Order: sequence, then structure tokens, then C-alpha cells
Amino acid sequence: MAISAATKAATDALAVNHAPVSVGAQEVHRWLQSFTWDFDKNRTKYSTKYKMANDTKEQFKLIAKEYARMESVKDERQFGSLQDVLTRVDAANRVHPKWNESMKVISNFLEVGEYNAIAATGMLWDSATAPEQKNGYLGQVLDEIRHTNQCGYINYYFAKQGQDAAGHNDARRTRAIGPLWKGMKRVFSDGFISGDAVECSINLQLVGEACFTNPLIVAVTEWASANGDEMTPTVFLSIETDELRHMANGYQTVVSIANDEAASKYLNTDLNNAFWTQQKYFTPVLGMMFEYGSHFKVEPWVKTWNRWVYEDWGGIWIGRLGKYGVESPASLRDAKKDAYWAHHDLFLIAYALWPTGFFRLTLPTAEEAEWYEANYPGWYDMYGVVYEEWRARGCEDPNSGFLPIQWFIENNHPVYIDRVSQVPFCPSYSKGASTLRVLEFNGKKHSFSDQWGERMWLSEPERYECQNIFEQYEGRELSEVIAEGHGVRSDGFTLIAQPHTSKDGRLWTLDDIKKIGCVFADPLKAL
Amino acid sequence: MSIVVGGGRRGLTDPEIAKVILAAIPDKPLETQRKMNYFMTPRGKRINEYETLCCYTQPTPDWIPGGLDWGDWTQKFHGGRPSWSNESTEMHSSDWHRHRDPAFRWHALYVKDKAEEWRYTDRFLKAYSADGHVRSIDPVWRDEVLGDYLGAFGFSEYGLFNSHSSPTRDCLGDTLRMSIAMIGLDKVDNAQMIQAERTFLAKLVPGFDESTDVPKNEWTKGSIYKGARETVEEIWQGTYDWNEILFAGHMIYDPLFGQFVRREFFLRLSSYYGDNLTPFFINQMQLYHSQTKGITKDMFHTCLAADENFGDYNVSLMNMWSDKWLPRTVNAMKDFMGIFSKIPTIAGVSDKAAIEAALGRVFDDWQRDYADPIGYKVDTAAMIKTVLSGLK
Ligand SMILES: [Fe+2]
Ligand SMILES: [Fe+2]
Repeated sequence: MAISAATKAATDALAVNHAPVSVGAQEVHRWLQSFTWDFDKNRTKYSTKYKMANDTKEQFKLIAKEYARMESVKDERQFGSLQDVLTRVDAANRVHPKWNESMKVISNFLEVGEYNAIAATGMLWDSATAPEQKNGYLGQVLDEIRHTNQCGYINYYFAKQGQDAAGHNDARRTRAIGPLWKGMKRVFSDGFISGDAVECSINLQLVGEACFTNPLIVAVTEWASANGDEMTPTVFLSIETDELRHMANGYQTVVSIANDEAASKYLNTDLNNAFWTQQKYFTPVLGMMFEYGSHFKVEPWVKTWNRWVYEDWGGIWIGRLGKYGVESPASLRDAKKDAYWAHHDLFLIAYALWPTGFFRLTLPTAEEAEWYEANYPGWYDMYGVVYEEWRARGCEDPNSGFLPIQWFIENNHPVYIDRVSQVPFCPSYSKGASTLRVLEFNGKKHSFSDQWGERMWLSEPERYECQNIFEQYEGRELSEVIAEGHGVRSDGFTLIAQPHTSKDGRLWTLDDIKKIGCVFADPLKAL
Repeated sequence: MSIVVGGGRRGLTDPEIAKVILAAIPDKPLETQRKMNYFMTPRGKRINEYETLCCYTQPTPDWIPGGLDWGDWTQKFHGGRPSWSNESTEMHSSDWHRHRDPAFRWHALYVKDKAEEWRYTDRFLKAYSADGHVRSIDPVWRDEVLGDYLGAFGFSEYGLFNSHSSPTRDCLGDTLRMSIAMIGLDKVDNAQMIQAERTFLAKLVPGFDESTDVPKNEWTKGSIYKGARETVEEIWQGTYDWNEILFAGHMIYDPLFGQFVRREFFLRLSSYYGDNLTPFFINQMQLYHSQTKGITKDMFHTCLAADENFGDYNVSLMNMWSDKWLPRTVNAMKDFMGIFSKIPTIAGVSDKAAIEAALGRVFDDWQRDYADPIGYKVDTAAMIKTVLSGLK
């Protein structure tokens, strides 16, 4: 074999310097943008009205192996804490029972969001043309698998170690019964994966992640730890370390379409719709989980909301995108009103429908009533009195034969479901801004609670056809629906859901519900 | 005590708060069933951690087989196309949640393996460079084969990687989705490691061109990868059915073309040309290949071909897909034969007889592991003959 000049040069170089040489991730990444090539059929399978630029770069320049290394280091720390010291101190049995219940919902519903984000970012990986932009979305695909597993791990841990495993152990089967589920699917599932790819990115990354991740994943850790839960901060803060990259992905989506003419036409409308979609569910549900799902209070939800959503996101984050023509959503002002009362309205309904949950709910105590009144003046006259009445009628006691949903019926306060957000509302008994709007289409009635959702439906009714729980269960008796949805504990008859978390209180069974003879009716039929 | 606890006080460690919490906790646990997902059917005797953390995370309604949810989608695509739908594939399943990664890797286990591989790669490269191995590589092999053709093969891996984006979006099960994303990541990892090797060589060998220009030119305009490129383009963007994409890529193209190029060309020949660097990288790719093979065989053979209701139908569809994708793959291999005229022939290693033997190994393996399980009748000798006709 002939010795080439290059081999000779390499040999000479070695004679001078034998220092070990390796290759860093960045040295590989800098070639990534050239990995693709042009060909006829090279276009996305998910149409978008925007055009993502071919030269879009990513901010976090990872290659596959370096990604794995980083995440693996975080995993070691996180699972090490959980499996070692937290288990030894029996931490799952030092969590306040109310919070134990909240984590059944929070972790499982977040899991759905994480899970759907895998598919959502898979779609974006397909839609982007620039390899770097694809790579950013790809990293997120993997992250969201991580987060799905992590959320599952919380329920797994609480089921194995904690005080009430029911609901933690089977949320994935029983979660679909109740009134919070479909709304969750709108924001966390379909809103991320079904639509114009850029619209989905705006829902997921620009709003879901950049706006609601902070209250959802960061603020929740403060409430958790105040209520004795150190598992959730251990896992959720580790999730949060990945979210920065996801917010950056959302930012890059906007950068990639900034020069496209379509952006000036549609971007702000899509953003406004996405913001309203996300806030319509998260604003009430998060507020409700924190305030009504805890014993110890960190701060009123409205303050958290104003800080993270209004100032941080609506002001700073959106402000930063101003140079690309992005404006603060027009619906932000209405949302701000929701942040004050919507979660109180929703809890009233959620508590009234407690048997359909996969968790135990608790009526506000006298101490809590005081806290609510102090932070939300007017709370007592609207909600406090109702809870007192329900308590007096024995709503916590299986012998009472009283379910609070009866109160809504007796007082002629029908509960409707907003077709677009799938969030339940009671127009005749609420302090929030909901107003009843009913429209007919293709022989079917649809109720709406606000103008923003109604507008989305009016322009594209075929996107929002999903039946709600009242339509689905119409004419069926409550205990039957619960049994069919597996809402019972391992003894086969005690409900997973309960209207109290008192350790001395009796637990309701299917028979207790059956005796009452509660039958689902579709309120739209009565109109 | 007050229920307001500001200032980051923690319930686990703050004695005052802890007292209140402990007093509220039931004397004995309220539920004895502590196994998460206890309702599911495990693959083995017991539900393992992978199954606990992955199975039924997907909220699909029961009209997509295996789903536990009910009703319609809450938001659909413009025009009303559903979020996920049975029409996204021609395959039928009685339960789309049935697939398992045979290695039961959830995210943490998957990244742990890859992180170790990265650390080991770093240590290996340092030892390799300090040891001066690079001096022994045949210059033609190094500059033309590794510089151009290995680089060009990186595009095949990168294209296959991208073929996983729409299946990651469209597939109908949770364990499927996670497996698809992971085997996709392995493919971009391969492309990146090919570039890593070329960058590494450029650091050791003055004048070695690490740029992707020449390989890309070879891939897009050259004759050696023409058939491969056209097949990859069709798998990546020409195909919409997510199962067909995976089948074409992982049950036909990669176990034939990919295996020949990686194992029988680069891996087998490199040491004859004084190159023991390439085997290090290719062996990682071969590990990924075998893991992926476990996954896709589980998808197509263990689950779909054996489905109690749709097995026969699925098998006939797989046979049709094989008819469609096999000729293109054979053609890609035929084009690749052109590479042998670019290297000095070594008797018994890269002469026609040796190539024929290598093709025999690849086709035999494929027939045993991929064709036989679906009863696909194939004349491998004729295919090998066709491939060999590409030798210049
Ligand atoms: Fe996430
Ligand atoms: Fe995320």
C-alpha cells in the first residue's frame, strides 16, 4: 500500500503530539443543517397555511447521544431521591390527604398533555423543513416521552407507597367518567395534535408551555411541598428543566414563519384562539386544584395567575415576540376576569358531580371559608352559603341520600357544557363571565359559554362536534355509569370518588348512589 | 395553626405543618390494590415497570381498538378529520396497545444506554487517537470510501430517521409511539455518528475533508446510492400509511440494504484496509439495528400477524407490501455494487465470490427472520443474481 501524503502528515503530527483527541457534540451538530436534500416529494404530510423557513436554526444544539447523556444525569438524581431517601422517610404517607387526591388528577391529566405532546412534536418534526428546526422538535418528542413516564411515576409511587391508592392506580381507566375529562382533552390532547401544524405549535409551545407551564409545573411544586408532598417537586422540577427547550421551540416556530406573508394575516388570530382555548380550561382547573385541593394555602390563585400569565407571559414573553408582529391576545382581558371567579364556579359544579371523579373532594372548612372571603370578597354570599347548606343536608354522609347536584336541579340552575371547551358552566349561578349561548346546527343544539369559543365554532363547526357527558349518559342512572366506567375500589362496591377526605367519615358505595335514583338528562333538550 | 403557609415552608420538614398533616392521615391505607394499571394484561407473568409507566397513557376512545376512552375528539383538523383514526393505516388490530419493546425500555432506560454509549465513544476515540491507529488506514479507503461513501450512507440513515416523524404523529398506540420515536432517534444518531467519525478523522489526518458537500453530491447525484435514495425518499415522504412506512423501512429496506452496507461492506471490509475505527461506530449501529429488529418484529409478527381477528388479513397485506418494496430494495443493492470498482480488490474479501457470499448471508438472514414468519415466498438466489449484475 502506498503511503499517502495525508497519512504521512498524520504520522508526523502524531510524532509531535500524542494527546488524546475526541469529538464533541457541537462539532457534529454544526453539520446537521446540511443533512437534508431536496427532492420532489419533500413536503410535510400536515398542511399548514404558513411556510416554515428552510434555514431556521435551533437554540439548543443537541445531538442524540448528548441529549441522552444530559437526561440520564437528571434521571439519576431524580429517581435516586425518590427511591432512596423519600421512601425511607415514608414521604408518601406524610402528604396531606387532600393533596394526595389532587395529585391523582394533576399528575394523570398532565400525563395526557405530555403524551399528546409526543405526537404534536412528531407532527412539527414532520412539518419543519430545516434539519435544525426538526432536531429541536425531535428533542422535544423524546422529552415528552420522558415526561409521560415521569407523570406516570408519580401516580405509580403514590399508589405503591401512599395512603389511598385508588385513583392513582387506575386513573388511566377511570378518568373518562367525569366532567373535567373532555375539557382536559381539548387543551391537552386534541388542541396539540389536530389542526394546522403551526396552530398546534402555538397551542402547545407558545401558550401551553410558555404560558401555563409555569403555574402548572412550577407553582404546583410550592403547593405540593407546603402540603407535605416532596415527590411532586422532585419530579416536576426535573420536567421543568426540559421545558425551556420547548418554549424555545415555540419561539423558533414564530421566527421560522416571521417572514411569511401568512403570518401577518393569521398569526394573531391563531394565537388569540390558542390562548383562549388553553386558558378556558387551565385558569379554572388549576385554581381549583390548588385552592380547593390543598389544606395549606400558598397564595391566592389570582395572584399566581396575574404574575405568570398576565405579566410574565402576556407582557414579557409576548413582548419579546413583538418584533415578529405578535400581539398580546385580545381575549387576555376576559381571561383576567376568569382568573378571579372561574375556579370558584367550577368547583361548585365539580363538587356537585363528585361521584363521577376518580378522587375524593373536600368541602371548604370554616378556616378556608375565611381565607376565601379575605382573598375573594363576596365569596361567602355566593359559594360559602351553598356549601353550608349542602353540609347541613348531609352531603358527606352516605345515609343522607343527598347529592349536591340535586341542589342545582331543585333551584332551577341547569348546568351546561360549552361545546368548544367542554368545560361545564351554570349561567344562572356563577360569578364568572359565562353567559349561555345556544345555537342549532344540523339538527343538533350546542351550548357555549363565551364569545371566543362561539366564534371558533361559528367559523369551523366541523372541528367541534364532540358529544358531552350529558349527551353521552342521557337517560342513564348514575351508579350504572360509575360501575361501567370502573369508578369503584378493589372491594367492588366502594366508590373511588368520595365527597370528603375525613378519616372518620363513612365511604359511599354504589348502592348508596343507586338508592338516590339520579338519572342523567341533557339540559339542551329542555330548551 | 393558620392554613396560610408562605415563605417556602415545607410540610415534610416543618414540625407544625407535619403535625396537622399526620393527624389528618387515615390510620390505615384506604385501598389495598397498590399495583398501578392492575387492570391490564401484561406481556409476561407480571406487569413490569415499563408497562406501568407506558401502557394506556394514550387516551383513545374504544372505537380505536384497545382504547379505554369514549366518544369523539374534542377538536379536529380543519375540515373535520379526526385526531387519530383507524383509517390512518390499512393494517387492522384487535388492540393497538398490545405492542411491547422486547427490552421493556421506557425513557429512562433508553437514555441511560445511549448515555453510556456516548461516554464510551468519547473514551474510545481518545484511546484510538493517542494510540496512533489512524496511521494504518489505507488512504483510498479512508479518503474515498469513508470520506465519500460512508458519508453518503449517512443520508440514507438520516432519511430513514425522518420517515419516523409521521408515524410518531399518526400511530394508534402508546407503546407503539414511544418505540417509533426511539428507533427513529437511533437512526439520526447513526447519521450523526457517521459525521462524528468523519470529523474525528479530519482532526487526525491533515487535509481529510469532513464537509458533507462531497457525500451529499454522491447521495443526490451519484449512481452508487441512486436506488437507495429513491427508495428512502419514497419511504420518508411518498408513503402515508404509518405501518407501511415502518414495514418498508424496517422489515425490507434496512434488513437488506442497510445490513449489506453496514455489516457486509463497511464492517467486514474495514479491517482489511487497516481501518479499525469504522467498526467501532458500525457496531453501535448494529446494536441499534438488533434492538429495532426486536421492536418491529414485535409490531408486525407478534402483534399484527398473530392478531386473533385480523391476522390473516394483515399477513396478506404484509405480503403485498413486500412485493412492493422488495424490488426497489434489490435495485438499491444492485446500484450499490458499483462501490466495489472504487476500491482495490482483495482476493477472497471483495471479489465477486466474496460479495456473493456476503449477499447470501444477508438474504438468508432476511428470509429466515422477516419473510418466513409471514409466509412470504421469495427466490433469494434470483435476487442475489440481480444484485450482482450491478458489479462493474
Ligand atoms: Fe413536557
Ligand atoms: Fe414540554
